[in-house]
Amino acid sequence: MPENNSRKVYVIPCSGIGKMYGLLGREAVLKTVKELRPDKAATMCLALLVYGDNEARKEIAGARCITVDGCPKLCAAKNVEHAGGRVVEMVRAVDAFRNHRGVDAGTAAHLTAAGWQIAEELAADLAAKVDRWYDAGEE
Amino acid sequence: MAAKYVILPCNGLDKEAGCLARELALKMAAATGSEIICPVLYQTAPSRYAPLLREGSLVVIDGCATRCASRIAANNDLKIYRKITMAEEAKKRDYNPGPDWRVGAGAAAFVEDVWRSWQPVLREQEAGRAPGENAGLFAGPLEYAIHRHDKFIFRVPLEGFYFNENDCWVQVQGNRGRVGISDYLQQNLSDITFVTPPDPGTEVEQFGEMGTIESAKAVYELVSPVTGRVVAINEAILEAPELINENPYEKGWIAELELTNFEADREFLLDGRRYLEVLKEKVADFNAGK
Repeated sequence: MPENNSRKVYVIPCSGIGKMYGLLGREAVLKTVKELRPDKAATMCLALLVYGDNEARKEIAGARCITVDGCPKLCAAKNVEHAGGRVVEMVRAVDAFRNHRGVDAGTAAHLTAAGWQIAEELAADLAAKVDRWYDAGEE
Repeated sequence: MAAKYVILPCNGLDKEAGCLARELALKMAAATGSEIICPVLYQTAPSRYAPLLREGSLVVIDGCATRCASRIAANNDLKIYRKITMAEEAKKRDYNPGPDWRVGAGAAAFVEDVWRSWQPVLREQEAGRAPGENAGLFAGPLEYAIHRHDKFIFRVPLEGFYFNENDCWVQVQGNRGRVGISDYLQQNLSDITFVTPPDPGTEVEQFGEMGTIESAKAVYELVSPVTGRVVAINEAILEAPELINENPYEKGWIAELELTNFEADREFLLDGRRYLEVLKEKVADFNAGK
């Protein structure tokens, strides 16, 4: 689909409400698309896709999507795929804790300084993934 | 014992109105010990939240005009106790949500103000009072426009009130609407002697009858500006109908409705400024008729 060549890479988190991992993933995604890679990445409100908003579905149809989930339900990955997005990377926020075992990252409402640090690391990882998929073009 | 609410907020991503909805949900949950429903997980696994929804009153918080949270609630036939729309709250406060996705000091103050305005409503449920006693929810008009004609002074609230051409108004807060008659109509009727409001539980259609008002001059059939179910009436006006003469927009309100579809109803209503123009024409026509 050549029309997708110039399209941004979508980085879509789960709703990120109710669990700390969800919040951390959400913040990492926002940092990626708003600060680190605003020219290459975009995000989309998952609820729009879930309840079947036609415009939202049309926008991500066939687009390269990196999903970021906070809990094992993998709402973002499943729903983006179901809505027609092409999930090229499936990221779990919990994996960002591999090098931070036992750290108090915060709560479902607020991240601690350590939590923000992990979110920054996750954002950097997401930005690298965006670069890879953006530069790869359509495959 | 604190009342327990179940909060269904908008997803809260990307647009500031959504971020504000999310902030309010978190603030409300922390303050009241309520549970938050993840809107995405609810849509995909509704049974997970069924026990919560059986026990608590549902508060829906929408961010932008897309109203995802309301749609999810409607799609699942959920009974909504209160509905808050951040875009509307912002409009009321003349606050402009910007592109900033971080909740800064201005946004935090705005959310705090919205929360403060809704606290009395939630406290009423905690106290077991009827929703019609929501004095804090329906604060009086902030500003009236004045139209003078001879010795008569007609007032029209400029913000938050919508009128039909039958001179009845509705003040809307979330999915609740308080209805009454305009200053122009109460002055036309002169001294009001009896009020027969609709019974609680009555389903009222927009432009359908919502009770009568009687004065020495006439019996007037009230025309509802909105569609909904009557959830409370103003008991005070049964004992003291003159409250409508004193101030029809505040103590003289008539009934409170749970609104069914205000967005559709609003297309047929006039805001305060437009109603003021209609009122001026009516006054001029009335005068010419003399």
